Amino acid sequence: MRLLVVEDEIKTGDYVQQGLTEAGFLVTLARNGLDGHHLAMTETFDLLVLDVMLPDVDGWRIVQSLREAGRQTPVLFLTARDSVDDRVKGLELGADDYLVKPFAFAELLARVRTLLRRSTVPVMTDQIKVADLTLDLPRHRATRAGRKINLSHKEFCLLELLVRRQGEVLPRSLIASQVWDMNFDSDTNVIDVAIRRLRAKIDDDFEPKLIHTVRGMGYKLEVEDDHEES
Amino acid sequence: MRKVSLARRRPLSLNSRVMLFVAVAIGLSLLMIGHLVQNEVERHFAEQDADELVVITRAVEKALQMAKDQALAPEDALARAVSGHHGVYFQVWDDAGRLVYSSVDTGSLPQANTYPPVDRIQVDNLYTWQSDGKTYRGTATDTRIGGQDYRIIAAIDMDFHIHFLENFRRSLWVIMVAAGAITLLAAGYGVHQGHAPIRALSESMGNVQADRLHVRLDPDTVPGELKTLVDSFNHMISRLEDSFARLSHFSADIAHELRTPLTNLITQTQVGLAKSRSLEEYRELLYSNLEEQERLTKMVNDMLWLAQSEHGLLKPVWEPLDLAREVRELFDFFEALAEEKQIELVSEGKTPIIQGDRAMLRRALSNLLSNALRHTSEGGRVLVGLALSGEGGALLSVQNPGPKIPAEHLPRIFDRFYRIDPSRQRQSEGTGLGLAIVKSIVEAHEGNIKVISERDVTRFTISLPSIADAEVSATGESDESTDHR
Repeated sequence: MRLLVVEDEIKTGDYVQQGLTEAGFLVTLARNGLDGHHLAMTETFDLLVLDVMLPDVDGWRIVQSLREAGRQTPVLFLTARDSVDDRVKGLELGADDYLVKPFAFAELLARVRTLLRRSTVPVMTDQIKVADLTLDLPRHRATRAGRKINLSHKEFCLLELLVRRQGEVLPRSLIASQVWDMNFDSDTNVIDVAIRRLRAKIDDDFEPKLIHTVRGMGYKLEVEDDHEES
Repeated sequence: MRKVSLARRRPLSLNSRVMLFVAVAIGLSLLMIGHLVQNEVERHFAEQDADELVVITRAVEKALQMAKDQALAPEDALARAVSGHHGVYFQVWDDAGRLVYSSVDTGSLPQANTYPPVDRIQVDNLYTWQSDGKTYRGTATDTRIGGQDYRIIAAIDMDFHIHFLENFRRSLWVIMVAAGAITLLAAGYGVHQGHAPIRALSESMGNVQADRLHVRLDPDTVPGELKTLVDSFNHMISRLEDSFARLSHFSADIAHELRTPLTNLITQTQVGLAKSRSLEEYRELLYSNLEEQERLTKMVNDMLWLAQSEHGLLKPVWEPLDLAREVRELFDFFEALAEEKQIELVSEGKTPIIQGDRAMLRRALSNLLSNALRHTSEGGRVLVGLALSGEGGALLSVQNPGPKIPAEHLPRIFDRFYRIDPSRQRQSEGTGLGLAIVKSIVEAHEGNIKVISERDVTRFTISLPSIADAEVSATGESDESTDHR
C-alpha cells in the first residue's frame, strides 16, 4: 500500500513516516505543498495524508486538484484547527476523514486502515474465526472452544469490531465511536470496563488469551505466537 | 470611547450648564427689577409734577377770580399768582385767542392751540416739550370765570428731574451689574463646591486598581444624588472582582494542572536517563510518559473547545433529536461501568423532538452521567428525567444520590478546574473541565443549566429552548462522517 504524507512540520512528518512505514506501508513524505501537489498529481497512491496548513499550496488545493482530475484516492486531513467550518469545508472538497492535532498515532493508524478498507470490497461472510473463537454474525452469537458465550448486544458489537480488525491496535476513542457512536473524548474509563467484562467472558476460561491491552494506545485482538507484548 | 467623544462634540460641562442657566435667570430678574424701579421713580416725579401743575392752575384760577371780584386788571393779579414757586411758568389766554398774561417769554411756552386742553390734570395727560435748551412738562386747561372763558397753560422746568433721573439711572445700573456679577461669582463658587463630592468620588474611583478590587466606596459619605452612582459603581466593581478572581484562579489552576504532568514527565525522563537501563525499563518509561502526554493532550483539546465556545465559535450542526433515544444510547454506553459499580441507570419522561447537535449533546450528557456515576456510591441510582419545559423546549435532568454540595460551591461548580475539595487534586479521571464543557455546549444551544443540591441528592437540570425551524438552516453533514478525534 502506497501512502503520500504531506507535512511541513519536520518532527511530525518524520514520526508519521516512520510509524506508518513500521506499520507496513510504503510511505512517501513531501515536506511542502508544492512537492505534495506534484507527487499527488503525477503518481498513484492508495491514500493521502495531508496537512491543511502548508506554507505554499495548502491541503485543500491539493484535494481540489485531485478531485478535479477525477481521482478518487481517499484523503485524510490533519489540521490544528478544530472548527466546524473547517471540517465542513474539508469534507465538501472531498476529504474522506479528518484528524485534529494533537492526535494519537494509534488513532491515525486506525483511521488510515479504515479508509484503506473502505476502498476495497468488504468481505461478506456469515462467520469469522479467530483461533477457537467463532462469531456467527447474522445471529449475533459467539462460541469459543465449542462453548456458547452469552454476550449483550453491545458486547457482541465490540467483539465483532476487535475480530474484524484483528492485529490492529484500536484506540479507545475509535472503539467508542464505532461501537457506541460516541464521537468525543470521554472522561470515563467506560471502554476499559467494557473490555474487562468482555475479557471475563471470552478469555478468562480459555487459552490462548485473545484480547490484549496495548499500553498507552488501546486494545487489540490477536493470537500471539511470540511474547513480544507484555 | 475617547475617539468617539472627540468625533462628536463633547456635551457642555456641568459647570457651564448651571452657570449659563444662572446667568440668564439673574440677568433677566435684575433687568426686570431695574426697569421697574426706574419706571416707578419716573412716575413718581411725573405725579409730583402733575400735583404741582394742579396747584399752579388753581392759583391762576384763584388770581383770575380775585381780579374779577375786585375788578382789578387780570395781569396784576396774575403777576403775583405763583410767587414763591421756582421754575414754574404759566400763560392765560382768553376765548378770543389773545394772550392775557404770560409769566415768561412767550416763545418758551407753546401757543394755546397747540395742545388740546384736558378736563383733569393727571400723570398720563401731561405734555412734554423742549424750548431754549430746557425741557418742560406742562398742561392746558379751560376754565370759566365770571362769564369769561380762559385757557390756562401751566409748565414746569423739569431739567432738575431729568438730571436727577440720569444720575439715579446710572447708579441703579452700576448696582445691578455689580449685584449680578457678585451673584454669578457666588453661584459659580457654589456650583464648584457642589461638585466637590463628584471630584472626590472620581478620585476614589481612580484609586481602584486591578489589584485592589476589594475596595468599595461608602454610599453613606456622598450626597443623596450620588448614592445610586456609588451603588452602581460598587456593583460593577464587585462583578469585576468576581471575574478577575475567576480569571486569576483559572490561570493559577492551568499552571498547576500543567505543572504536575510536566514535572512527572521531566522527572521520570531524567531519572530514566540517569543511568543505563534494560529495554523493559525504557519501555516502561515511554509508556508512563505517554500516559502523561495523553492527559496533557486531552486537557489542551478541552481548553481549545472552551476557548472556541468563549469566542462563540461553537456552532451546533442542527438536526432533529429525540432526547429519550439519546439517553438510551448513552445508557448503553455507560452500562458496563454502571453495572460494575452496581448503579442503576433509570430514565423517565419524554420530550418533544428538539433541534440540537447530536455529538455535542451526547458529549454534554456523557459528562453529566460520568460525573453522576463518579459521585454515586455502590448500589445507588442515577435518574435522568425528561420533561417539557414551559416554553415548548425540553428539560433534561440528571440526578444522583450523594452528600449535599455546600451552597457556596454551587455557583462556581461550572468554572474550569473548580474542585469542591481542593485536596482532591487530579483524580485518575477527568481534567476538571467536564462541567465547564457541559455549560459551553448548553449555551451554544441557547439553553441554560442549573444545579441544585439537597440533603441526599444532587440534580443538574438542562433547559433547551425549542429552536424555530427557520434558524436551523444548514443541517449539515450526517454525523457519520464527523467522527473526528
